[in-house]
Amino acid sequence: MKTYLLPAAVALATIAGAATASADDKTVGVSWSNFQEERWKTDEAAIKKALDAAGAKYISADAQSSAAKQLTDIESLIAQGADALIILAQDSDAIGPAVQQATDEGIPVVGYDRLIENPDVFYITFDNKEVGRMQARAVQEAMPEGNYAFIKGSAADPNADFLFSGQMEVLTEAMDAGKIKNVGEAYTDGWLPANAQKNMEQILTANDNKVDAVVASNDGTAGGVVAALASQGLDGSVPVSGQDGDHAALNRVALGTQTVSVWKDARDLGKNAAEIAVQLADGKAMDEVDGAVKFSGGPKGVEMTSIFLKPVPVTRDNLNVVVDAGWVPLEVVCQGVEKGALALCD
Amino acid sequence: MTIERVGGSRLAAALIATVVAALCAITPAIANDDAPITADIPALHEEAASAGIDHVYDGPWEYFVGGGVAAFDCNADGRPDLAFAGGERPAALYVNRSPTGGALAFEHRPLGPDGTDLTAVTGLWPVDIDGDRIIDLALTRVGRNLLLRGGPDCTFTPANKAWSFDGGRAWSTGFAATWEAGNAHPTLAVGNYVDRSAPGAPWGTCHDNRLHRPAQATETPDYSEPTTLSPGYCSLSLMFTDWANRGEPALRISNDRHYYRGGQEQLWRLTPDRPPRLYRAADGWRPLKIWGMGIAAADIDGDNHPDYALTSMGDTRIQTLDEDAEEGRPVYTDIAFEIGATAHRPYAGEEIRPSTGWHAEFDDLNNDSLIDLFIAKGNVEAMPDFAAYDPDNLLIGGWDNRFREAGDRAGIALDRRGRGASVVDLNLDGMLDLVVVNRSAPVSLFRNLGVGTPDATRPMGNFLAVRLEQQGGNPFAVGSRIAARIGTRVLTRDITVGGGHGSGELGFVHFGLGTAERAELRIRWPDGDWSHPYRVFANQFVIVERGAPDATYWYPPPDERPPR
Repeated sequence: MKTYLLPAAVALATIAGAATASADDKTVGVSWSNFQEERWKTDEAAIKKALDAAGAKYISADAQSSAAKQLTDIESLIAQGADALIILAQDSDAIGPAVQQATDEGIPVVGYDRLIENPDVFYITFDNKEVGRMQARAVQEAMPEGNYAFIKGSAADPNADFLFSGQMEVLTEAMDAGKIKNVGEAYTDGWLPANAQKNMEQILTANDNKVDAVVASNDGTAGGVVAALASQGLDGSVPVSGQDGDHAALNRVALGTQTVSVWKDARDLGKNAAEIAVQLADGKAMDEVDGAVKFSGGPKGVEMTSIFLKPVPVTRDNLNVVVDAGWVPLEVVCQGVEKGALALCD
Repeated sequence: MTIERVGGSRLAAALIATVVAALCAITPAIANDDAPITADIPALHEEAASAGIDHVYDGPWEYFVGGGVAAFDCNADGRPDLAFAGGERPAALYVNRSPTGGALAFEHRPLGPDGTDLTAVTGLWPVDIDGDRIIDLALTRVGRNLLLRGGPDCTFTPANKAWSFDGGRAWSTGFAATWEAGNAHPTLAVGNYVDRSAPGAPWGTCHDNRLHRPAQATETPDYSEPTTLSPGYCSLSLMFTDWANRGEPALRISNDRHYYRGGQEQLWRLTPDRPPRLYRAADGWRPLKIWGMGIAAADIDGDNHPDYALTSMGDTRIQTLDEDAEEGRPVYTDIAFEIGATAHRPYAGEEIRPSTGWHAEFDDLNNDSLIDLFIAKGNVEAMPDFAAYDPDNLLIGGWDNRFREAGDRAGIALDRRGRGASVVDLNLDGMLDLVVVNRSAPVSLFRNLGVGTPDATRPMGNFLAVRLEQQGGNPFAVGSRIAARIGTRVLTRDITVGGGHGSGELGFVHFGLGTAERAELRIRWPDGDWSHPYRVFANQFVIVERGAPDATYWYPPPDERPPR
């Protein structure tokens, strides 16, 4: 029933849209979950810039962490004439009805960064599995053989397992060949650095300090790992991975105590989401979007059309990308780096 | 409320919603109706230390949840006494010695039998299980739950054995009791949380809940044949509620989505002599996933059906029976946002992270005849995505059917992790006081001084306190509804045992009457029979005994009135 009706609704909307629309009078509504969080300012700037370039108008609403407010925000964005919506969900279960209303009215919805498991929603995020692969690759490059420890994320966070499976994908072959040995792995409660440090200390003790490389799942846990290594005088000689492009982590990369921080450039996400929203508003079908793939890895297994952006592994060799992007000031990255140690810092 | 009033309030609510929507459409930034609060704000004065209450709920992970208080009279002096869960620390009893209308005063006693200490207690609920008119206590624990039989002068004896009650070994956090039709003894429901021993724990490993129906026609209560309520979804609050007004309580269970997989909120139908049955989507029940911590019920929209506050992380939900739902179908809609009751992040401080709600209770704290909503708030422990400074809410109900926050002005915005609580008149002055159990911090005890600030208070509106009594095994008439008519409006309260977070109360039921000087009471007794009207004066404590021609007035012991 539903599968029969929906294409009809979409088709109608497309026709209606086609009658009035030219590409440059579109309005894109963005529903933020909590815009006061500093991190989203970068995303907004990128979205605005891309919409400007496409001649589309930007309207937005801030749910202030309330799922109920986000429900009415979405309704109000629709009432204001949004031709497409970008939604950063506060609680994707709770906003379901508003998302359904939008898609029923033929208004395309882009699920931004957080999964809204609805087949009519286009999902855009970073490729979390690729993050894990990049972490493993960078560490493996620095230490192709030896004893590996794995400091995983919080057991409560599905992302933690995503990351770990990506790491394993890269390392399985070397592990099967006996080049790499898993000498300890641990989940990190709440992703807290202190817990990562405790786990790392235990792994070091259990292995008589014979740990040659550490695959840590984010920069916070990497910080804990480096602290544990430092107390044994091992920091700098044992490769350590991370992710997020934390300022402290990027500084560790410059200092040489952390090998890689996989960085997700929010400007990429914003720009792509905006461009896709405009394309969908113009009547493009979801699977015609450049680079779109089918994804059904959510908790409910709903098949969705998605784009997974490639993050950037930031190492000593390309630290300039985060500085050039304005993500972090050079002096923060280079704090404490000795002269001559890294060209970027001189 | 009368039919006209119901229609009017509905229309008003619809109009407000429309106006709000219109405002949103123009300027999303002012989508909230932040009209200044014009209602009376009570001055709530924290005086736990001077009242002699020194109690902390604390312990490891198992005690991140729980932390209840029971308010009930254990020595027949009419004053509510308080029993506190202690978590890893001993539970405690505080006997109420407050002079009428005066400063609060309590005397500490151990809660355990023969003066022993009871640990591992998460919550406590007062209920007269054996029908001897002395209130007993049901204690949920991490481990074996306990039924304590109340004796004279606040003494308690364990009664698990005498009443064939298997306390189990689960991590229990919720409790509710009701008298099913024709039963002399109550049906007890116990809510369980995470099964820590299951493989993969704690993720997706929830304990089943338990329903203890009494054996039929026994003199003493006999709970030897409990029923399993499966699936359990890591519950933190249970409430028996006659949601459909058919004289048949159903069991509402609020569950914590942090731990369950594939779970949701639950409503069990209990038909006497038949196995419990879950309401499903086919019955109109809509799946709702929240971090359910506490349930409160009150008829806030005047449709004569209870509405429910469900606390969670982020938004508080207020569920009302959908206007378009067919009779007998539990179709609920969330109206928290339109009535201004989401309370989803701290109202004071600089925090922009969402807050974490626990105990909820509807009551009229400013005696203006409109129901208010108290919500205990506090971070689970140190969850980084949620507010650290997360003060409790006092949402004052307004004539426009919206709630407005007055926690800071009332004086309750303390930096403590709230858990269980009770809104109860502790010094019998007709103004509701407030006691809050905090995790890893002292119990907060607030005396209601009247309208205004502690330095300059003036009297509140009128009040009425009502207690019900009847013959038989349910002497305090749990399951009754009290309807108080003032002018053209009818205020209702249901007498229930359960809900909240770890906390319950049993005793005088409080009504704020505003400017009304008398009220007309009618009682719907647990079996569904309505009483004749009782005309009573405001500012009185009254006892309505089933079948009696008149209500009787009860006066606080005069010898203990404070010197004037």
